[in-house]
Amino acid sequence: MSVPEIFLLLGLAFSIGGAIVLPLLTETLVPRALAIFGSAAAACLLATSALLLLGHSSLTIHLVTLPLLGTLRLHIGGLSAFFSLTLGISFLPAYLFSDGYMRRYQGHFRTRNFASFFLLLLPTCFMVLAAGDVITFLLFWRIMSLLASLTIVLENTREPVGPAGYLFLSMNEAGIIVVTVALLIMAGFSGGHIGFAAIAASMHNVSAPWRWIFFLMLFFGFSTKAGLVPVSSWLPRAHPLAPANASAILSGALVNFGIYGIIRFVAILLPSTGPLPGLIVLIVGALSALIGILFATIESDIKKMLAHSTIENMGIIAVNIGMALVFTAEHLPVLASIAYIVALYHMLNHSAYKTLLFLGAGSIDQHVGTRNMNRLGGLLKRMPVIGATFLIGALAIAAMPPLNGFVTEWLTLQNILRSEEIPSALCRVIFALCGTGLALGAALAVTCFLKAFAMSFLGMPRSQNAADAREADFSAKAPMLALAALCLVLGVGATWIIPGISRAVPQLADHHATAALVPPFFAAHPPNPPFKPQFISGFKTIGAGVGAGVIPARGLVILHQGGKSNPVVYAMSTFYMAIILALIMAATWVMIRLVCRRSRAAIGAPWAGGMRDLAPEMTYSATGFSNPVRVIFQTFFSAGQREDSKVAVESHFRTAIRREQSDVYLFDRIFLAPIAICAVAISRLLARIHRPSVVNAYAAWVFVILLVALVVNRLL
Amino acid sequence: MANWFFSGLFSRVVTTRYPASPEIAPGTTPGRPVGQQANSELAASAAAAMCPVGAIGAHGRDTTVTLSQCVHCQACRQQPGIAWQNDYQWAAAIPPSDSHRSQPVPRAFKKSLHIRIVDGGSCDSVLNEIKQLGKPFYNMHKLGFFITPSPRHADVLMLTGPVTRHMEAALKATYDAMPHPKWVIAVGSCAISGCVFGSDLMTALHSPPIVPIDVVVPGCPPPPLAILHGLMILAGREGELPPEPAIPVVPADPELRKVTSPEMSP
Amino acid sequence: MIDSNLSATPSALPALAAALGNSVVWQAPADPLHAPIAAADNFVTIVLSCEPENLPLVVRTLTEDADFRFAAIIPCEEGSSFIVAYWFYRSAGHLRVKLRVRVDAAAPTVPSISAIAHAADWHERQAEDLFGLIFSSHPKLGDFVLHEQWREGVNPMRRQFDHAPLATDADPPMPWSPETILETPGAFVMPIGPVYSDYAESAQFFLETVGEDVVRMIPRFFYKYRAVEKLAEGQSIAQVLLKVERFSGTSAVAHAICFSQAVEQITAVDPPPRAQAIRLLLAELERIRHHLSVLSDVCHSTGMIVPSAQVDILEEQMLRLSCRIGGHRYLYGLVIPGGLRRNIEDDQLQLLADEVQRLRSQAAELFSQLQFTSSFLDRFEGVGITPLEKTKNLGLVGPVARASNLAGDLRIAMPYGYYHHIPAFPEALETEGDGYARIRVLFHEIDSSAEIIRATALSIPPGEHALTALTLAGGEALGAVEAPNGAAFHGVNLAPSGTVRRLALITPSFTNWHGFHLAAENFAFQDFPIMMATFGLSMAESDR
Repeated sequence: MSVPEIFLLLGLAFSIGGAIVLPLLTETLVPRALAIFGSAAAACLLATSALLLLGHSSLTIHLVTLPLLGTLRLHIGGLSAFFSLTLGISFLPAYLFSDGYMRRYQGHFRTRNFASFFLLLLPTCFMVLAAGDVITFLLFWRIMSLLASLTIVLENTREPVGPAGYLFLSMNEAGIIVVTVALLIMAGFSGGHIGFAAIAASMHNVSAPWRWIFFLMLFFGFSTKAGLVPVSSWLPRAHPLAPANASAILSGALVNFGIYGIIRFVAILLPSTGPLPGLIVLIVGALSALIGILFATIESDIKKMLAHSTIENMGIIAVNIGMALVFTAEHLPVLASIAYIVALYHMLNHSAYKTLLFLGAGSIDQHVGTRNMNRLGGLLKRMPVIGATFLIGALAIAAMPPLNGFVTEWLTLQNILRSEEIPSALCRVIFALCGTGLALGAALAVTCFLKAFAMSFLGMPRSQNAADAREADFSAKAPMLALAALCLVLGVGATWIIPGISRAVPQLADHHATAALVPPFFAAHPPNPPFKPQFISGFKTIGAGVGAGVIPARGLVILHQGGKSNPVVYAMSTFYMAIILALIMAATWVMIRLVCRRSRAAIGAPWAGGMRDLAPEMTYSATGFSNPVRVIFQTFFSAGQREDSKVAVESHFRTAIRREQSDVYLFDRIFLAPIAICAVAISRLLARIHRPSVVNAYAAWVFVILLVALVVNRLL
Repeated sequence: MANWFFSGLFSRVVTTRYPASPEIAPGTTPGRPVGQQANSELAASAAAAMCPVGAIGAHGRDTTVTLSQCVHCQACRQQPGIAWQNDYQWAAAIPPSDSHRSQPVPRAFKKSLHIRIVDGGSCDSVLNEIKQLGKPFYNMHKLGFFITPSPRHADVLMLTGPVTRHMEAALKATYDAMPHPKWVIAVGSCAISGCVFGSDLMTALHSPPIVPIDVVVPGCPPPPLAILHGLMILAGREGELPPEPAIPVVPADPELRKVTSPEMSP
Repeated sequence: MIDSNLSATPSALPALAAALGNSVVWQAPADPLHAPIAAADNFVTIVLSCEPENLPLVVRTLTEDADFRFAAIIPCEEGSSFIVAYWFYRSAGHLRVKLRVRVDAAAPTVPSISAIAHAADWHERQAEDLFGLIFSSHPKLGDFVLHEQWREGVNPMRRQFDHAPLATDADPPMPWSPETILETPGAFVMPIGPVYSDYAESAQFFLETVGEDVVRMIPRFFYKYRAVEKLAEGQSIAQVLLKVERFSGTSAVAHAICFSQAVEQITAVDPPPRAQAIRLLLAELERIRHHLSVLSDVCHSTGMIVPSAQVDILEEQMLRLSCRIGGHRYLYGLVIPGGLRRNIEDDQLQLLADEVQRLRSQAAELFSQLQFTSSFLDRFEGVGITPLEKTKNLGLVGPVARASNLAGDLRIAMPYGYYHHIPAFPEALETEGDGYARIRVLFHEIDSSAEIIRATALSIPPGEHALTALTLAGGEALGAVEAPNGAAFHGVNLAPSGTVRRLALITPSFTNWHGFHLAAENFAFQDFPIMMATFGLSMAESDR
């Protein structure tokens, strides 16, 4: 038995053992036990995937051979290992966080059941990634959906929580039913072989129309899970209602499964049918990014805002996958590889900062008692560690250098600029439009997370609870600090991460991508292609070679070369940026100390126009901060939101103006509501047959249908 | 728009040359009453008695005018024993008292003083006269005086009005919000003495005043040139003024607000 | 229902008497059916009295059926009771109604009329604060004139206040916050003031908003409350005149005329015709200067520097002109009860006529240029609309009302002084009620004032400039003058010794600030200074 296998078994043992032990414990012990068992399991699985990635090895386990269906097997290759790494990044802090966080639910809700489901979620997720065949994949996927929806409904006595759980489950089911049908037909094409490899091999013989059908079913099925438009409205309705540790998992890890599905089945299994599927993915991604961030910006519930932002990030990942598909179809393998690397890198980043932000939101919720940013404010003084780590997360997700979000957003936009190499003009136009959308989204993300941080942590407390808040305990601080550090490392260490991803998923990203993105400036004699010696030396004269021999890396600069018609080289180095930023900050600090040594600062109340006392309700609210965005995009929001205004007047004096906004969920209304209405109508009709008073008619129906079936069988 | 450009360009320059040379255009100042020697003691005391605000005093045959109490009612305009002088350089610096010691305006500030106006309940004509300072005829910006909306950027607090009870806290908050060093100029008779609106009821006639005053510009309202004169005194730029009247210096507190004007010989 | 278009006064009275029926007691004229009305009278004052419970009915009859406009509520403490005088006026028939309601000072409760005549709202709130009168069913009493540092129950205009030790300060001040009515998640208020902007007068505004668009505005005034009305009590006419001129220096002439008019009514004298004519010239000169000042702010609020500077030049020229002919840049000290303090010679009037004619052509040119400046018009058209119906209900006056097509210029509606003798001039009415309409009204009024000066200045009657002496008498009267900002009313009550017993200043700024919220509703934040500028109101005049 190899070392990864041992860790794998240990991890499974911890989870399943914990899930069995936990219901037997008294409720006061549950949070601690959940944290211990969970983090141990997560650590083990993290170790498994890390070892597999570092060793470039894979793990194949044959589970059981079923009659009729074939052999069920687990296969953990590079892609699965990478995805399970993101699982670990999200799960480990969330489990640790549970220790302090779960105490708020004690005595109110069934924390023991929740803890068991929550513990079982990790191995189930892992098994989905490890599945090497269609049946195992679908089986564990459904268990995963079920467990996830069970974690959402912890606070089941609160009004929208129960429906939210059902919504999550039903949308996931809807997606996976489509996927199931597609996969079973595909397995049919491969002669009943359910292994991924066998299906992949058979797909080359499939005709283009079938490929199109498979693509559409698989992509839209999995995009439901990833929360891409049009089927995205369930995500902000379901994710925020779960407890914060579960929300962190849902947004940090579980949405990645949609991406996993798209990459595993659409990108790897299906051969290319030209650039059109890629363009569809690209457009869906760009729309998701824009719509997600627009709704996130105007949202004042901090967890809902994060959920909307998840849609945005999934959109960015989808844009990269779409680009990769187009580039593959257009025979630009290096660009396609870069796009895949960026997609996976961005997913890794998203797992890190989204988990961090959800844990921060959970801490705020726990210690202030509200998630409404309009009632927060001034928390930085009261929760300094949570505030500082939340700030790092917010800067990272807003793509501020030198943090990780910046690297991938920069690379995404640079990649879009490379669309000029595609011959088709239509493609280039679509790329350009999507790029514009993404750029706008990136700007809005800054607004959105500036608001999230400033309205929660700066200014005056806008409620008594916010004024009385206190710092979270160690179990919240430690995972958040770790994740903040991870965000920094993933940003500064970009030149290590990119080659790492490229090595992990060689079937998607070959080494040419690494060579193009991270040129070997540190190598004494760099290999000739793709860079000419004078190019390398030119960069070395401006300092790209500094650190060679000391720092074990290819270099510290990320390059993005322009194409033939645009031979510009874009260079970027988060590592140097970090150093320069640190130097500037240190120098500023020293300067201030030197200049202000003798003078002392006068500290006074803020200038408020000479008012006697400035009340918190006279300062900017979160809604007010983002309202310009709402006004600018009025036409857009008017489709998705309805505003009701009522004025109460009492003998010439207006006594109240009420304005309420409610979400409309356009897609749900137009497409899903008719389906739901039809389904309800059909089941009503069927229920009428079931009525006990007409049991004879019921028996007659059975007989009639049997007859019809026999006749049909005969005729065929 | 082009029309405005040209109509602005071809407009005549109307800006006063004060303080480089005295302004002599008619109507820039209402002038002021000044004490003189009356024909008889009776005439002097009659002059004193007819002033509705008691700004005129009689000492034997001499009359004196306390300009900071004068409301420019013109009642004494043809009164024997009172001369009317059509000047405007009547602002006065108040020597620092013990309780308040503001330093002279440093060199760096002399040609760039930023002013925050606090309306302590003035009639709007004082504010209108201050407003004229920023307008073409007086254009105080060329002399380096600027109005700023934020006290954080202000060096000078320009106080108008008798300081109502309701404005007391705001005035204090504004003064406190100003960075050091800071100065206060009181514009208008009511800001100095309370004048016809001074009362215990609704205005805060504090002694010492809520904010320490460095320069006073009496008048009801003081014409723009008098305010400009006050600003020049505040900035310590008396040297640039046209060599007309001497700068009146008044005795220190406790009667800080009762600023006597210099005796002008007819 | 009364035919409100009756022009002949005698026939209007019986109709009114019939409509009011038994709910009022006629005090003057004692017999409304056979009242002797002298043709020379500018107006007829009807004095009625009624029981407090009949008040709403009477006010409804007066304002809704008989087309009277609300002017003022002037409470006066007499012995152990309050006489609350409700003043109304009507252009048709030149009628004024003084409705007296007597209430016990120990339990001073009067029914509120602000639901009927909404213009009375602030008058009632003011009376509650200063006199302690309770207006039953008024939804918003308390904290109006007196701010949070005043203890509740302290009413400075009450007689008893004078004898109590001066312990008015609530220490610490009571917490105060604006009464917000916007119930939207994330709604907040933007506070402005009391110390704000470059030259702005002290006042505070709270803008209720959810960000970007302001839903409504809550004003907080009386930061400049100097208690002029209180200070006047017991002072001589000369002393009070100083205050009346100076509480709002930019409308000094109008208020001095208004006060003098009231004093002249009580003492039953008419100033000499020359004095009346010169008063008219001074008032029109002041109106021109005032409107120029407002227009300068208007141009400035949109950042139109060149037009702003052009208007500024005209304004300063008018200030200098005032100083040359009147000895004071704001024309203080000229108007006194009984005439003028000093004559203004004919050559000075010639100068006035010439200068104003020069200004008139320059202002007209400026106006025609502004009308073709789209960047200027864009900021005013459709901004800050005051609908006619609400303007009427709030009883707005002056250029603001005229921009909404609400006539009521007192110079035309109830001509006073020399306005009887000048050629008729049209009232500058506009229909849109937006910022641009207000600007047009201002320009038209500048033009018509210049025309009045041109037609009058060189043909004023010779003679004395003042009565030699004023015979002192007690009594009470209401002066009514069209100040630059609109109708101003001064309620003056003199003791027989000639001292002022009670002074009530009802100023156009007070009336119009009450209606400012009509314009300041659902607007973009950057339009707020523009709306303030087009209203052109004075805080000093409103706060008193």
